[in-house]
Amino acid sequence: MNRTLTPVLTATAALAATLAVAAALLALGGHSPGAVFAALLRGAFGTWDRFFSFTLVRATPLLLTGLAVALAFKARVWNIGAEGQLHAGALAGVAVAILLPVHSPLLVLPATLAAAAAAGALWAAVPAAMKTRMGVGEVITTLLMNFVAVFLAQFLVQGPLQEPRGVFNQTDEIPLAARLPALLPDTRLHLGFLLGIVIAVALWLYLTRTPGGFRLRAVGASPRAAEVSGRFRAGPVVWLAFLTSGAIAGLAGWIQVAGVTHRMYEGLSPGWGYTAIAVALLARLNPLAVVVTAIVFGALSAGGGAMQREAGVPEVWVRGIEALVILAVLTVDRSWQVLAGGGSRD
Amino acid sequence: MTAAARLRGVTRRFGAVTALGEVDFELAPGEIHGLLGENGAGKTTLARILAGLLAPDAGGVEIGGRSVALRSAREARALGVAMVHQHFSLVPRFTGLENIALFNAGAWTGRGTEAPDYRALVRARARELKLEVELDAPVAGLGVGERQRIEVLKALMSETGVLLLDEPTAVLAPREVEGLFAVLRRVAEAGTGIVLVAHKLDEVLAVADRVTVLRRGRRVLTEEAGKVTAAGLAEAMVGEPVGRPGREHPPGRGPRGLEPEPVATLEGVTVRSGGTPLLRDVDLAVRPGEILGIAGVDGNGQRTLAAVLAGIRTPDKGTATLPREVGWIPQDRGEEGLVNDFTIIENVAFALHGKAAYRRGPWFDWAGVEETAGSLMREMDVRAESPETTAGTLSGGNQQRVVAGREFLRSAEMLVAESPTRGLDVKATVAVRARIAGLATTPSAGAREHQTTRRPPAAPKRPPGIVLISADLDEILELSHRIAVMVRGRLIPVPRDRHTRTAIGELMLGAQQGGGPR
Amino acid sequence: MNHPPTTATLLALLATLACNVDRKQDDVPATDPPTPHVALLTSGPVSDAGWHAGAYEGLQLIGDSLGFEVSHQQTRTPAEFDEAFISYAEDGYGLIFGHGFEYQDAASRAGEQYPDVTFVVSGGSRPSANVVPLLFHLNEASYLAGMAAGAVTAAGIVGMVGGVEIPTAKGTFVAFEAGVKAVRADAAVLETFTGDWYDPSAAKEAAAAQLRQGADVLIHNLDAASFGFFQAVREAREGGSEAWAFGMNRDQNDVAPDVIVGSAVINIPAMFLRTATAWRDGTLGGVAEYAGLRVGAVEFVPNPAQEGVIPPEALARIDEARQAIIAGELEVPRIEYLEPEDDDPPSP
Repeated sequence: MNRTLTPVLTATAALAATLAVAAALLALGGHSPGAVFAALLRGAFGTWDRFFSFTLVRATPLLLTGLAVALAFKARVWNIGAEGQLHAGALAGVAVAILLPVHSPLLVLPATLAAAAAAGALWAAVPAAMKTRMGVGEVITTLLMNFVAVFLAQFLVQGPLQEPRGVFNQTDEIPLAARLPALLPDTRLHLGFLLGIVIAVALWLYLTRTPGGFRLRAVGASPRAAEVSGRFRAGPVVWLAFLTSGAIAGLAGWIQVAGVTHRMYEGLSPGWGYTAIAVALLARLNPLAVVVTAIVFGALSAGGGAMQREAGVPEVWVRGIEALVILAVLTVDRSWQVLAGGGSRD
Repeated sequence: MTAAARLRGVTRRFGAVTALGEVDFELAPGEIHGLLGENGAGKTTLARILAGLLAPDAGGVEIGGRSVALRSAREARALGVAMVHQHFSLVPRFTGLENIALFNAGAWTGRGTEAPDYRALVRARARELKLEVELDAPVAGLGVGERQRIEVLKALMSETGVLLLDEPTAVLAPREVEGLFAVLRRVAEAGTGIVLVAHKLDEVLAVADRVTVLRRGRRVLTEEAGKVTAAGLAEAMVGEPVGRPGREHPPGRGPRGLEPEPVATLEGVTVRSGGTPLLRDVDLAVRPGEILGIAGVDGNGQRTLAAVLAGIRTPDKGTATLPREVGWIPQDRGEEGLVNDFTIIENVAFALHGKAAYRRGPWFDWAGVEETAGSLMREMDVRAESPETTAGTLSGGNQQRVVAGREFLRSAEMLVAESPTRGLDVKATVAVRARIAGLATTPSAGAREHQTTRRPPAAPKRPPGIVLISADLDEILELSHRIAVMVRGRLIPVPRDRHTRTAIGELMLGAQQGGGPR
Repeated sequence: MNHPPTTATLLALLATLACNVDRKQDDVPATDPPTPHVALLTSGPVSDAGWHAGAYEGLQLIGDSLGFEVSHQQTRTPAEFDEAFISYAEDGYGLIFGHGFEYQDAASRAGEQYPDVTFVVSGGSRPSANVVPLLFHLNEASYLAGMAAGAVTAAGIVGMVGGVEIPTAKGTFVAFEAGVKAVRADAAVLETFTGDWYDPSAAKEAAAAQLRQGADVLIHNLDAASFGFFQAVREAREGGSEAWAFGMNRDQNDVAPDVIVGSAVINIPAMFLRTATAWRDGTLGGVAEYAGLRVGAVEFVPNPAQEGVIPPEALARIDEARQAIIAGELEVPRIEYLEPEDDDPPSP
């Protein structure tokens, strides 16, 4: 079976199943399912501008965090901390953008991106060290680091990084030089999306075409076999997965600031780092499929806005439908596995 | 007399492959019935159908004279059918007692007010069966033989009319095999019918009352054990006359004259885990072209020795001088030798990912790896659809061939082989043993053949030294030039004039007289 | 091993879909008859019985009273602010409310892009020709509440529990403090911000802490968290101390009639209706809209169930102050947060 196509088909089937359930619920709630879904599609794909400016813009942070999670999970590193790494990256990027006394985009952009990646990696390094040195499970540590990052962000935007007027809990707007240029004229789609695609392709090439990627997959499949049959230590590979994953998640945070919001504030992310887990799992941890699943989630989110605006569906419903999608995906995914795995061996 | 179990015209297919075709099989109460066949002949499929793990596509199953349609192992269990699997189904972190209790949960969760002391119950049953078991240590730390005894006890805790054992002797030392057979005879005498799936013809003939041979899913022979010979059975299994394995490379045919420089030496190597010494003051030299056989009861430090020789375990004391690359066929191919979710290509890549010859700039030369995997499959006679087949779908024997082939391939100056023919059929055993013997006598290491065209040669100038670790004394005696026995972490050399089954067996037994391998 | 993906194919598929849906959309002109369209963005649920609910009521009022088409969207992240403004503007909405200071940046950007659309930002800070900050002078009502508190407190200690420390919230406390001191110059004032509008247990803890420090009259500026705040005061009363609370934002007198002396109220619906009417009449824009006592947008409402708690002479003084504020004779302290470069005072 074509391994890249499978997740795409899975996503489609899950979506269809969800839409059926959602339609029934919407009808019960007094909304016309047809009008609601038309609004959803219009919101996500209605015009080129909506697709680029809404769907893809919303997909960008999910794409980057989804890639971060996919890479880590591939190495059996259960990084639940993309949310915190995202905040760390955003803070570092903003700090460098505001404090750096240089105004050439050619210098500022690489410097801020590097700072964000480094901060994300640093945030992941703590759980990495605890796992490799002390054997502390990363599920707990990465999760706890999220809270630390979110509180740190709150503190910084109320204090050291607060806008000079000191009125609102947010940073100043970042200088023009630090903002990501538009990817397409007259859209809000910024360079960050392209960067996400580039990282996706790079990760895919790395995982499937290089010895290092093979080692990473091997550690993910069986650390013991990697050591005995592959004759290499799992530790450095685990570190690499942690740091790279953290760096990509860190980029996600700064790219959101540099491409969309242009300043940092409390509650920058509505939980992208967690949604990313669904994005990555739905893509079966394949980086190229993550591009697709991130766009699906972005479309759902953008369409959700239109469902409110045009069909009067409350926000809670929109979130409920998103949750339905994830459930449906897991169900469909599982049943496919059962269907495909009927055989046995002698 | 009512059969303990009976199959009538049972057919089972996996996709296009017919694993079992219209097979009739009868197990009488109180008999030990040897079930023989090559890899893929359908032995395990037959056992799994009896155990309720697989449903037949056609045909009928009878247990205790009643026709049944088993839908789960639980149903089979309720009818008194128990199976001891080739890969044990024990929870590693649980103790033996906990594993036994878990499996027999109905008896244990205190339904009924008598609330028996389950430990006492298990102890009593073990005494009855004369099974020596360690009940209170996590099974993860136990040797294969000990784990198997727990499996057997677990299966026999409740009323059992049919006991299925899949390759139970593959991992045992001779003494342990004898112990197991003694247990099986006692169990059979009590009326339980036993199906013994096995490869080793001599062993089966020694214990079985009747034997059935399967070939490619068909039953080709059922006969009383007294009326067949090992050669006759081998022929029935393969479908043509075969030479018995071994004896072509008699012991003592090592390199003569000046002893060459060793490829690896261990001096005073000690390895501890926590406070427990796993290896004690081991001295060892492996010379090119020789096969050093290491015998011993499982769990006496062989695993640790292999890890040290392969370079993934650093000695706590002493020095290990090792070649740059060491081939290692690990004992546990499912966990260590292979990644089941990986394709054959990817599993072969484990030996090649660090080699410059398989790299194109930053890229891994997957085409080259695939080519190498293809020729490996041909040479080792790996039966699979293609190199893209995932390892987990291969039969045990084919898996072992992939592992062995890969380790031969690793341009090794030294090869460590742990039970390399475990789970292999007669043909494959012959092939692997011949390959090991061949490696030792000529410098044409397996890797060279693959290096002729594509790869710049990194050919070893001399044949590799081979360390053969096996609990199978026959294998050790057949192949080794020198022999040592591992006893509680110590390595005891066996002088050449004592290279006999009895002498080595005594040394191995000595270990157990001294309080066991724990 | 993986094979090259079909991402390109999929994108092409999506694009085709996009074009089809696009065509469908053209069949549904949103602006055809000149029924004005009004939209509202909130960053919280309109079921909060507070700040957001008031705005939603206002939107409905606009629809009912003026016959306008109305629509609402709850946004989660600032990235969605731009998107929602643009969508509504593209769909022919002429007046769009962003109910909170957080919409200011996005409204300014959208305002430049859509000069024919008017954007109203509640608590906004940067007026322009078509971006109108709507400044609720709740501090004026809060000042009157402070005067009442100064008259009620026996201990001479009053407490204030806020959610997030934003200028509008801070402003109500500054005014409350001034009101207390106008009546009782020696009074001490405690102030706590919990950092969360919606966390009742944090609010309850903060209020209880102030009560332990001796405060006997408390006011809050919270959203859904105010239930916890009132609970703390209720428990203090049950424990035998003579503690009182003030409501804020909505008329909360009926929320906890047993403990509330009175509420400092914003009449958001009335102000929204007033703003929409001004927009229809073409008089909206260029400057921030003042929404205070004078236009009936805020008020201090004593709790009828606790009549007599505020002494009559105090009520008389409060009424005098109200008249003075409306007449412009009394300047209530506030936090200025309009940005200096567009330093327009509230319209007189």
